[in-house]
Order: sequence, then C-alpha cells, then structure tokens
Amino acid sequence: MKLKDYLKERFSCLLINFIGFFSLVCILLLLDIKGNVIFSILILWFFPLMSYILIEYMKAKKHYNHMEGLLESLDEKYLLSEIMQKPTCLEEKLFYEILRICNKSMHEHVNEYKNLQLEYREYIETWVHEIKTPIASSMLIIENNKSEGMDNIGQEIKKIDGFVEQALYYARSSHVSQDYLIKKFDLVKVINHTIRRNAKDFIHKKIDLQLDEINEEVYSDIKWVQFILHQIISNAIKYMKEQDGKIKIYAKKNKNNVILIIEDNGIGISEKDLHKVFEKGYTGEHGRKYTASTGMGLYLCKKLCQKLGLAISITSQLGVGTKVNITFPLSKFHLES
Amino acid sequence: MKKIIIIEDTETIREELKIFLSKYGYEIDAPDQFENIIEYINRANADLILLDINLPVFDGYHICREVRKDSDIPIIIVTSRDSEVDELMSMNFGADDFITKPYNTQILLARIAAVLKRASKDQYRDVLMYHDLELNLSNGSINYKGKTEQLTKNELKILSCLIKNKGSIVSRDVLMEYLWNSNVFIDDNTLSVNVTRLRRKLEEIGIKDVIETRRGLGYMMP
Repeated sequence: MKLKDYLKERFSCLLINFIGFFSLVCILLLLDIKGNVIFSILILWFFPLMSYILIEYMKAKKHYNHMEGLLESLDEKYLLSEIMQKPTCLEEKLFYEILRICNKSMHEHVNEYKNLQLEYREYIETWVHEIKTPIASSMLIIENNKSEGMDNIGQEIKKIDGFVEQALYYARSSHVSQDYLIKKFDLVKVINHTIRRNAKDFIHKKIDLQLDEINEEVYSDIKWVQFILHQIISNAIKYMKEQDGKIKIYAKKNKNNVILIIEDNGIGISEKDLHKVFEKGYTGEHGRKYTASTGMGLYLCKKLCQKLGLAISITSQLGVGTKVNITFPLSKFHLES
Repeated sequence: MKKIIIIEDTETIREELKIFLSKYGYEIDAPDQFENIIEYINRANADLILLDINLPVFDGYHICREVRKDSDIPIIIVTSRDSEVDELMSMNFGADDFITKPYNTQILLARIAAVLKRASKDQYRDVLMYHDLELNLSNGSINYKGKTEQLTKNELKILSCLIKNKGSIVSRDVLMEYLWNSNVFIDDNTLSVNVTRLRRKLEEIGIKDVIETRRGLGYMMP
C-alpha cells in the first residue's frame, strides 16, 4: 500500500477541506485580516487533519502487511479467514464477516464435489468387483468347453479384463488412498507374474524372451507394480514387429536404487511423440494405426509411479525399439532393517 | 481322492468350478445354501475350502475365522477384491492362500495342489506314476524298474505335463503355456531340445518311444 494511493482515496475529503479553507481565506482577505493569522489558521486546520490521515495510513498499512504475511505463509490460502486476527473497526468487521460467509459457501461447494467424486470412485470400485464375477464365470465356461471359437472369446475376455483393471487403477490413482501397502518383495516375482499373464501372446507371436537372472529385492506395493509392469509389457507386445520380436528384461543394482529395464525391438516411438507418451489420452501415430489404444496405460503408469515414489522413463528410436526404465529407490534405512 | 468344498454364491462360477475341478480328479462339494454354512463345513470333513468373500448371510472373513476356531483345514480365499490390503486381511483371518477373480485356471490348480501338499506332507507322496515309470517331483528323478535318472527342471515339468494328460495329444502351444505358467519361460527351440534330451534319458533307463510326436499336432504319451 503506497501513501500516494492512500491519499488518492481520500481525495474528496481533502478537496472539500481545501475548498472550505480557500473560501475562508477569501472571506478573511476581504475582512483585511493579516497574512500571519491566515497562516496560523492554515496550520490549525490542516495539522490535525493530516496527522489523522497519516496515523490512519500507518495503521492500515501495518494491518495489511500483516495480512499479506499471513497469506504468504499459508499453503491453503482460503484458510486466511480462520487464522486472521478478529478486526476491531466497523468497516473491517463487516468485511471480515463477508469473507467468512464467502469461504463457508465455497467450502460447501467444494465438499459437494468431493462427495460426488468419492461416490463415483466407490461406484467404479464396486462396479469393477461386480463385473469380475461374470468375467470369471465366462473364463471358467470357456475352460470347460474348449474349442477354437471359445479360445478366441477367451482372448477377447482377457482384453475386457485388462480394461476393467485399468478403470480400477484409474479410480485408485486419483486419490491418496488406503489401497496400497509398501513391503519388501522379490522383483522377479512381479516379472514372472506379468510374463505368465502374457504367456499366450509370447508363445503365439513367437516373441523371444531374454530374461536375466534377477535377484533384487525392492520396496513397494506389489499389486501396483504388477499393474504397471503389465501395462509396459503388453504395450511392448502390442507394438511388436511382425517377425523376430524380442523382449529383454533385466535389472541393474546401484548403491541407492534398483533399475528394472524392459527393452523391446518393436516399432519404437518417434522423437516428436516421445515426450508426450505419458500424457492422458495420448495415442500418437501408432495408436491411430494400431487398434485398442486408449492412451491410458502409460499415463496411469506415470501417475502410479509418482504415488509410489518410483521413477519411470522411456527412451526409444523409431523402427529400432523402446526401452523403459523403472527405478526403485533403496534407502539405507531399508537395507539395514 | 481329495475333497474340496466350494463356497461361492454365484451359481455359474460354482457349477463351472465343480465341472473343472472334478475333471482334475477332485471330489467337489458345493453348497447353495449359506444359512448354516459353518456347521455344514464342519460336517463335510473336506480337505480344502475354496471360499468367496462376498457371500449372503456371513461374509468370507467371518466364515474363515469361525472355521479356524477348531479346524486347521486349508482355506483358499477367492475374491474379486485384489489389493494388498485385502490379501493381508485374508491372511490375518487364517486363510492359507488368496486368489483373485478372474483366475487363471492353471494357476488355481497349482495353488490348490500346493496348499494340499503343504497340509498333508506326511501321507502325500510327490510321485506321478505312468505304468511302471515313477516320476518323483520332489527330487526331480525318474525311476524305472530300479534304474534312476536325474531330470532338469524343464524336463521334469514337460514329463509331468505329458503324464497328467496321458492318452491325449498335447499341442506344443498348450505344453508351452503349461511351462510358462510354472515359471519356465522357454522358447520353441528349447522345447524341442528338452524333449529330445528327455527321450534320451528315458531310453537310458530302458523306456523307448514313450513320448510320441504327432506331426503338426504335438506330443502324446499313449
């Protein structure tokens, strides 16, 4: 708050005083009063007025500076009305009341949306669990009535299952939720699980799997990591070249982390697309060429990795292949315990 | 014959599981009433329980806890809830294993076998028989009329898959899927090499031509 601006605000008050004083001076001059008397009247008139304005200015400045400081220190700015000092002067009291009412109404509004979102998330989760029952029964029926046609339906149902799973993790990913549990597990367990899950594709498409012996232990939520790995490996399979497909999985142990690397020799991602692959709904050229790309898989991977504190990065060359790195941090604390 | 109780309220799953598991040589008991389920379980005297969590009357956790009060019968929880927290809960209630829907049937079978094996270490011998050929799963050896030969992990898995499916042709793809499901990730060529080695080992202890190749179809043990 600048003094100039403050005075500008009081321009009308000052103007009236000046006009009043000017009229008085005119009258006094007509009455032939001496100059030093008029000067004294000027001092007597304006000294209290200016002092009052200055004092008020200083008070106001202090008050607003304090408020600004508070606001600065707050992460959630809307909490200001909760912690600011109760004002004493009338104008500010009224203003304070208005601020509180606005805040309250905003909170109600936000809560309404929060509840809506929570309900929606709960609905999605229940729905996912419900739809898994018919999927499970369909798979059993297929298993019990084996034929080529049934097998094809089975493949399609597996895809449905994959999409349903994506929906579930999407619902989970947008909340800091109680759904995850960090514990120690063998990295190879997750890898085996994902490979088993994609076994049919590996075998039928004759993809060469190079699996290094991986003996690392990491700390994370195994289910979420399984989901992430499944997205990456099924992507690698989806964007594989027609012939001589190859997927290589290995791990590197550093002092502070373990890096899991999934390398394929598929069609690759062009440089201009590469930085966008983690964006929501981004499918790129391949997505348009190959069916069944929703652009959700990698977006979810990135989001879940962030929640789990893992780093994920992709390097790729068009026509040569893609390499995905997932970094699991290992702190000293974990190593010792 | 091992007896399994399936406690599952979805009729389709219950019936299909019954068909599926019966095919693999288990005796199945699958109640469709859940009011007195705990008494039912205690009376049934089964070797294993496959237990769903979302059930009418009592939920699976409650049943699990109640059954554990006076029985050590193995319990495998089958559920569509799949988070680590759910798994932890099930284990805390005394379940032996936890499988999520929809399940890979081969893995379901493997888990059932593993839990049963753990539960009855003493009377259960890890041996598959094919005529006079003995396949010992626990130490990976084959035995025929006193002669013994050691098998590798891959050979062991291949032979056990063929014996389990004796009398019918096992296609290369099905055989490979079976191997992949038990964490043996071998490619087409390695499979051929392994089968050749397996045949040679079988010949060395005196069994000839027991694994037949059906060109274009797969392998078979008659």
